[in-house]
Amino acid sequence: MKWPAVYFMIGLLGLACSLCALAQSEPSGPVTNQPFSQDLAGKLNPTWGVGSWIWAAETHDKQTVHLWRSFAIPQGTTVAKANLRITVDNAYKLFLDGRELGMGSDWRSLTEYDISQILDSGRHVLAVDAFNDNREAGLLFGLRIELTDGRVMTISSDSNWRIVPNDELGWQRRQEALENWVRATVVSEFLPRPNAKYAKEKEFDRKPTMIVKVPVLRPVAVKFWQRGWFQISLLSVAVAAVLTSFQLLARLAVQSKAQALLNRERARIARDIHDEVGARLTELALEGEVMQTELSAESDLRPQLNALCEKARAMSGAMDEVVWAVNSQRDTLRDFATYACKYARRFVAATPIRCRLDVADNLPDAVFELPVRRSLLLAVKEAINNAVKYSAADRLFLRIHVQGRVVLVVVEDNGKGFDLAQADPLRNGLNNMKQRMREFGGRCRILTKPGAGCRVEFEVPWSKTSRRPAATSSLAEGPAGSGNGSAGDSPALPEVKEAANS
Amino acid sequence: MTPPLSAPSGKAAAKSPLRVALVEDQRDTRESWRRLISSFPDFTCVCACATAEEALQTLPGTKPDVILMDIFLPRMSGIECTSRLKAVLPKTPIVMLTASDEDEMVFLALKSGANGYLLKRTKPAEMRAALLEVMSGGAPMTSEIARQVIESFHAKVTGRSESLSLTAREEETLVMLTKGYSNKEIADRQSVSIETVRTHLKNIYEKMHVRSRTEAVANYMSGGKE
Repeated sequence: MKWPAVYFMIGLLGLACSLCALAQSEPSGPVTNQPFSQDLAGKLNPTWGVGSWIWAAETHDKQTVHLWRSFAIPQGTTVAKANLRITVDNAYKLFLDGRELGMGSDWRSLTEYDISQILDSGRHVLAVDAFNDNREAGLLFGLRIELTDGRVMTISSDSNWRIVPNDELGWQRRQEALENWVRATVVSEFLPRPNAKYAKEKEFDRKPTMIVKVPVLRPVAVKFWQRGWFQISLLSVAVAAVLTSFQLLARLAVQSKAQALLNRERARIARDIHDEVGARLTELALEGEVMQTELSAESDLRPQLNALCEKARAMSGAMDEVVWAVNSQRDTLRDFATYACKYARRFVAATPIRCRLDVADNLPDAVFELPVRRSLLLAVKEAINNAVKYSAADRLFLRIHVQGRVVLVVVEDNGKGFDLAQADPLRNGLNNMKQRMREFGGRCRILTKPGAGCRVEFEVPWSKTSRRPAATSSLAEGPAGSGNGSAGDSPALPEVKEAANS
Repeated sequence: MTPPLSAPSGKAAAKSPLRVALVEDQRDTRESWRRLISSFPDFTCVCACATAEEALQTLPGTKPDVILMDIFLPRMSGIECTSRLKAVLPKTPIVMLTASDEDEMVFLALKSGANGYLLKRTKPAEMRAALLEVMSGGAPMTSEIARQVIESFHAKVTGRSESLSLTAREEETLVMLTKGYSNKEIADRQSVSIETVRTHLKNIYEKMHVRSRTEAVANYMSGGKE
């Protein structure tokens, strides 16, 4: 009862996280509602719409400089138009809120980006990954935002930009500057001169020669699976799944522990039956034999005593079979084969029939669970019994093989055979065998013709892990589950008696 | 079915009776066995021990012709006792008595030097026949035991001396046993007498015992790594 509560908590946690993520996806943070500060009203060159040339304090060849700037558009306002112009001597990559907007590598052309559709109210971050190939360097930038209420915001390249250390990670989407992000240096005013190439101060006369407009930037469609709430929900589902499997594993462990206990119990019961009952019966038979030897040869009691001894021996044998069936240490296919062979040989020994065994060498040592094993043995016994009683054969073959996922047991004789169609009413043993096989998905085939012997084939589905739990449950259910079992057991005893008598 | 037990059976009666020793911990059972064995005219029970320790003390002095040994004895088991007795009385056949024919146990006993085994519930007449069979060579072997014997001989090819591996005939005998042939049928198929088959079996038992002893020594010498 503890587990559902835990899941509920996890679900709740996941939900809370998702909500947080949703809230986060709405831009938040310190947003000024007041009119633009002096800083934000960056001065833009009226013709070119940009600020000054800015750069890091030092300039050198092959230099990478990260420039960063954040700004806020007042809540409750809507952007009507927003145009951004940029160029860097010599190259740049431009980011807005971590999204790459574009890049350029010709400082002479000023690129204009229309970001009207991707700019909304709230805090935004501009980031420029700039590169200087040689000599002079600088970023020229201007952003003009017209709000629907008529106000205009401008952001220019000035000393409000920050220089981000090159080893900083995730700086492109960072909303607050860190202490060590120093202010950018204005390296030169933007002063285009008509005759720039004749100017003396060479480094100050750089000016772009054209403006290149790129297509309007549209909002990036974020797929639902890329959203935080979805990912967190997914994560919580995964965590719940992992916990569920842990719980199932734990339950399985408990179950297999119960199974082990059951097996131990079965072994103990088998031992007890064997020691307490089987051994006593053997003693009884032994004492009977001793008494017989001490009676006079003519005594009337002798045959009776002999019959008593036989009975005790037969019971002791039957007990052995029960012990074998119950004993969990005899749960393998190999054990089954051993037992069936022993039975066949013993049963046939008292008859003129010769018994031939053909058992595969490669029988696996894997579990062959109790109900199947017992039913199969009973069916095989029935087949052997039939052969001995009716076939008039002089050879009996018992073959046990594994073919893929099937255990194949064949009882074959070279006797007179019979007509299957006519034999049915006489031999209900045949139906019995078929019934037994059907109980656990097996198959029984009888191949015979008058004068051509008889071959009974039993096929039992089998795999390494075949229905171990089923065997457990039918055992664990006790009286309820053993309805099947006791029905199967009862014919076992008379048959053994038959074996001993013949 | 049962032949009259007290009737003397020809040639055996002419000789001095077979001296049988018995090791069995249950008092009643021991007493029953003793009386039963003594009831055969050609057998006599010379000694009935209750424990393996007692057997190890008494039997080397008694020198019986055959020893019947219970597999399960308190403290020292019948298997261990067999292996120790074999060191002192290598020629004396030892037959294990078991309540049920658990092949693992029987196989262990055979490896420790036992010459055969009998189910405790065997009919007295059959028991007598089996004892005589043991005395004349190897005891009958079941198909399952034969299979295990073959496996054990194939398991390690370390066979430092040739005498420790099976001859072709011995192996053939074992294979036929696994297929369910009786000693008589094997004799017919090999065109030899049943005594020859018994001799094969006796040699197989002997080799198995020697092998398991050498293995034990080898394991001991190699620091008991196995």
